[in-house]
Amino acid sequence: MDGFITALPTIFKAMTMGAVPILLAALGEVFSERAGLVNIGLEGIMAVGAFVGFAVAKMSGNIWLGVLVGMLAGVLVNMIYAFCTVTLCADQVVTGMAINVLAPAIALFGYNLFVGSNPANATGEQMASLAIPGLSQIPFLGDALFNQTLLAYLAFILVPVVRYFFHHFRVGLSFRSVGENPHAAETLGINVVRTKYVACIVCGALAAAGGAFLTLCYTPIYTDGIVMGRGFIALATVIFGRWTAVGVLAASLLFGFFDGLNVALQAQFQAAPVMFFKMIPYIFTIVALIFFGSKHAGPKANGQPYFREQR
Amino acid sequence: MAELLRMENISKCFGSFYANKDVTFDVREGEVHTLLGENGAGKSTLMNVLVGLYQPTEGKIFMHGREVQITSPGVAVENGIGMVHQHFMLIDAMTGLENIILGDKRHDTPLLREGDDRKTIEGLMDRYGLEIDLDEKVANMSIGMQQRVEIMKVLFRGAELLILDEPTAVLTDLEVEGLFEIMHSLTSEGKSIIFISHKMREVMRISDRVTVLRRGESIETVDVANVTEQELADLMIGQKFQESTYPKVEDAGEVAFELKGVSYRPEVKHGGLKDVSLAIHKGEILGVAGIDGNGQTPLAEVVTGLVKPESGEVYGPDGKEIALFSPRSFIKAGLGNIPEDRNKMGLVGDMTVAENLVLKQTTSDKFSAGHGKWLKMGEIHDYANKLREENDIRCTSVEQTARSLSGGNQQKVILARELEGEPKLLVAVYPTRGLDIGATEFIHNQIVAQRDAGCAVLLISADFDEVLKLSDRIVVLFEGQVMGTYPGANPPIKEISLAMAGK
Amino acid sequence: MAKKELSAEERSEKRLMILTPIVSVLLALIVGAIIIAVLGKDPIQGYAAMLRGSLGDPAKIAKTLERACPLVFTGLCAVFAYKCGVFNLGGEGQFIMGGCATATVMFGLGLQGPVGLALGLIVGMVVGGIWGLLPGIMKITRGLNEMITTIMLNYVALYFMEYVFKNLYSDSGLPKTLAIPQSARLPQIANAHVGVLVAILLGVFIWYLIFRTSFGFKIRAVGMNPVASKVNGFPVKRLVLLAFIISGAIAGLGGAIELLGRTPFRLADGFGSGFGFDGVAIALIAQLNPIAAIFVALLFGVLSTGGTMMQSVIGVPTAIVEIVRGLIIIFAVAGMAAVKLPKIRAFFAARQNAKVKKAEVNA
Repeated sequence: MDGFITALPTIFKAMTMGAVPILLAALGEVFSERAGLVNIGLEGIMAVGAFVGFAVAKMSGNIWLGVLVGMLAGVLVNMIYAFCTVTLCADQVVTGMAINVLAPAIALFGYNLFVGSNPANATGEQMASLAIPGLSQIPFLGDALFNQTLLAYLAFILVPVVRYFFHHFRVGLSFRSVGENPHAAETLGINVVRTKYVACIVCGALAAAGGAFLTLCYTPIYTDGIVMGRGFIALATVIFGRWTAVGVLAASLLFGFFDGLNVALQAQFQAAPVMFFKMIPYIFTIVALIFFGSKHAGPKANGQPYFREQR
Repeated sequence: MAELLRMENISKCFGSFYANKDVTFDVREGEVHTLLGENGAGKSTLMNVLVGLYQPTEGKIFMHGREVQITSPGVAVENGIGMVHQHFMLIDAMTGLENIILGDKRHDTPLLREGDDRKTIEGLMDRYGLEIDLDEKVANMSIGMQQRVEIMKVLFRGAELLILDEPTAVLTDLEVEGLFEIMHSLTSEGKSIIFISHKMREVMRISDRVTVLRRGESIETVDVANVTEQELADLMIGQKFQESTYPKVEDAGEVAFELKGVSYRPEVKHGGLKDVSLAIHKGEILGVAGIDGNGQTPLAEVVTGLVKPESGEVYGPDGKEIALFSPRSFIKAGLGNIPEDRNKMGLVGDMTVAENLVLKQTTSDKFSAGHGKWLKMGEIHDYANKLREENDIRCTSVEQTARSLSGGNQQKVILARELEGEPKLLVAVYPTRGLDIGATEFIHNQIVAQRDAGCAVLLISADFDEVLKLSDRIVVLFEGQVMGTYPGANPPIKEISLAMAGK
Repeated sequence: MAKKELSAEERSEKRLMILTPIVSVLLALIVGAIIIAVLGKDPIQGYAAMLRGSLGDPAKIAKTLERACPLVFTGLCAVFAYKCGVFNLGGEGQFIMGGCATATVMFGLGLQGPVGLALGLIVGMVVGGIWGLLPGIMKITRGLNEMITTIMLNYVALYFMEYVFKNLYSDSGLPKTLAIPQSARLPQIANAHVGVLVAILLGVFIWYLIFRTSFGFKIRAVGMNPVASKVNGFPVKRLVLLAFIISGAIAGLGGAIELLGRTPFRLADGFGSGFGFDGVAIALIAQLNPIAAIFVALLFGVLSTGGTMMQSVIGVPTAIVEIVRGLIIIFAVAGMAAVKLPKIRAFFAARQNAKVKKAEVNA
């Protein structure tokens, strides 16, 4: 038990670190699903964000340029999804799956070119942590909450912003209506197609930012499969968080906690078969869904294609 | 009165099919102008063109004598046109207020100003006598209030021309009176209304002029003062129309199916059953009348085995109490089912017509070898062609997908399949919804023929005229309860419509 | 089967649906060529190398077939599940668990020879089926989205395999298992193991099962419209559960065959890696037709084995073939959706009608 308490700061630190990429991607997915688009391509978009962020930061030496270009790349990839699902009315799940095949391939191809040409490129830039004086000294939680990278702070600040957007902005209300009943929205002069495209832009940018966090704040390298299912965990987070920003925050912290537990246990019991610890976040995701995931339905028109002149 | 709207030579094609062809009509200020036509006559399409949801293939639209291009619903709103759709365009998860202000652009700020808007709306509520609970979620509102929210949405946007698409279809008689009062107060304030309906009585009462549409074309515009109900009906159908009548059965056979004190989710106002008892006899049609959403769906689900009632007893054709509620066992016991939603519940749209016709018999020895293992493709094809001939199912081939058929032909596929098993109990839920007169006649004839062959028929319909026409006995459902049982021959219509309103 | 008389519109749509994947492959190859050209390499030389590297001689063909073999299994796994409306993304996990189970039969029970082989295959299939059953139970009892649960179970399986090859049956402490004993390996026909033949036969069998049996009829009906299936008396839940199990068992058998048939005959890092998603891609490109899935899997095999040769000849990363694969599926998905769009349908139907009329005039 003493071991557990001494390990708490490590767990909390790993919790916030683990929560951020999931939080960013899940917030993106909230926008997408509020506009009626289930995007299971998060995983792929995160991979692209992770690689482009990594490569651009390394090349330019400017980490924020890396984040920005990574987000842009995420948007571009998600525009493929948007075109297929919104304009062509393709099946959303199928298209998302196609993105999950294509996007990591693009990232891997880029990586092979980038690092293959110069092995010194294998290790990238890392974003420095900003300790907030005073607050970061709080026992147990201080280091976890107030000694983070700027990108992580931004992710957490985004939560109230998103909440405010959906509840107090005219566009926020329109956004929700598109996911609930696009035909009704259309009759009120809301441009459904444009709203869905905007949702895809936001979703692509945020998911890619989550990916970039992995290579710019978590670990300074890119490897194929670095996202490790976080895109899908983010999908579960959205269900778990009831399609709200605050809910998503709580859920991703919870997922982050179990990720942190895994890290702490690995450090604590080095002799044990660590792979069983590594399973924890994935098993927890399933368990969480079993207990809390099923009954609540999301936006009503979620996942359905929207044909304007349907007959 | 000055002219407000003129639509000139409007045509609208879907593929090679003309939903509207060369339609012309106009609306004056302060009048109620009715569009009259059968299902599929092109009324809704025409209105969707007017509100910018569809783009016309040809034709021009004028407001106040000026030509306008209505390229999107937003443009229609700017031109003072607003529509209350037959299927309400509301967001269930939002409040009345949110639904009304949604998408409105009167304020320059990107932020919502609910306080200001609330005042404006309350002013309009007083002026036109519209009672709305602005803070209630739409999902929890009565149908009547949902409709008032729809009307308020249109008024809030400053509409001069309101389109009401079959607004009375979902209302009780009392609510219809309320609606008509609102319509009067609107026209007395100079607003114009396009009223869409096929209920002659209402049309005669509320409208100033009527334009009749038939097969997508505008046939004639008449002053209501100068025509009779019969003349309008003939115009609408295009020939002297004599509706067929069926002899009623008064002494039916023994009980084939019975519910005793059945309850299912009684706490749900619009989706439960409360202590329902009814018996369906062999060789009779028991009609269930009632406004949509008063327990019809759960009743249909109980008698087809889809759900198990929470309390009460159900007795099957053999007179024994039913313990196992599954569609499978009900079908085995002799159930034929024409479900509520043919595309969702009756057909597998992406399968072929032939496959849909044998849907229930895939493991029978007739269509499979090795006791239900391998399909006999040839047999299935021939059988499908036989049923296609017998039931006049119009399709280019039985290998075509069921989805591509018209509504009437889809219903014929279901009917052919369900009646082939010679059911002991036939449950028909909204069997003719959305069908034209020809298909409706065919289906009515088939249902009555089943009755005459000794089958017990339960007919559930929100179309009161259909219930009156076919039923040998009538029960009325209101909020999940049986309000009373009435004879089908010389039914007390007044009493029944009061019962439908819960009186 | 009796002859089909379809309307012009349906015929033109059917033709377009068949054409779409073929055009997608060509388009993807063209985009791939453009990328190669942009890198300053010769795309024709590259594609020639790819063909030589994958189909150049019997040994290479055999290698390509063996590479395609597991993809046929994961592809069929996806096809079968989707036919019943189940979006199983867990092919990889089921494949891996099949492999782990087989390894346990070999090393845990110490079986060898034909008995070990037979038991290995059976146990692999059973365990794959069980791994597929888990998300099925969660879907049916708790309504959980199988996409998320199957992906999560993939990672659980992945780490379990790590445990198997690092801790349980490690080859003298190295991160790989011992090799399957010679006597229990799959026999070879013309340089390729017989698993390839099993895969092809299985594809044909699945086609027959889906399209020619009452069971398949029900599976398809449930996949297309579960509500109508329930109303018409099909045991929907049982069928969905069976779809999960069968689809998992197909992948599990694939894992067993991969371990017993293909060099290096061991479990190690990378075993089955990416096969699940590839299987999904194959199923979608094949439009859920099991026989078409075999051919698409072969194409994927050619791309994979040929990609290595292309890399060594013209020096572009092998990842280019993954991009080509990704593009094929994007183009196929977009193309199939486009064909179904009302506007595009009307356009082709009008053209078809014009043709018919022209023919009438000429006659």
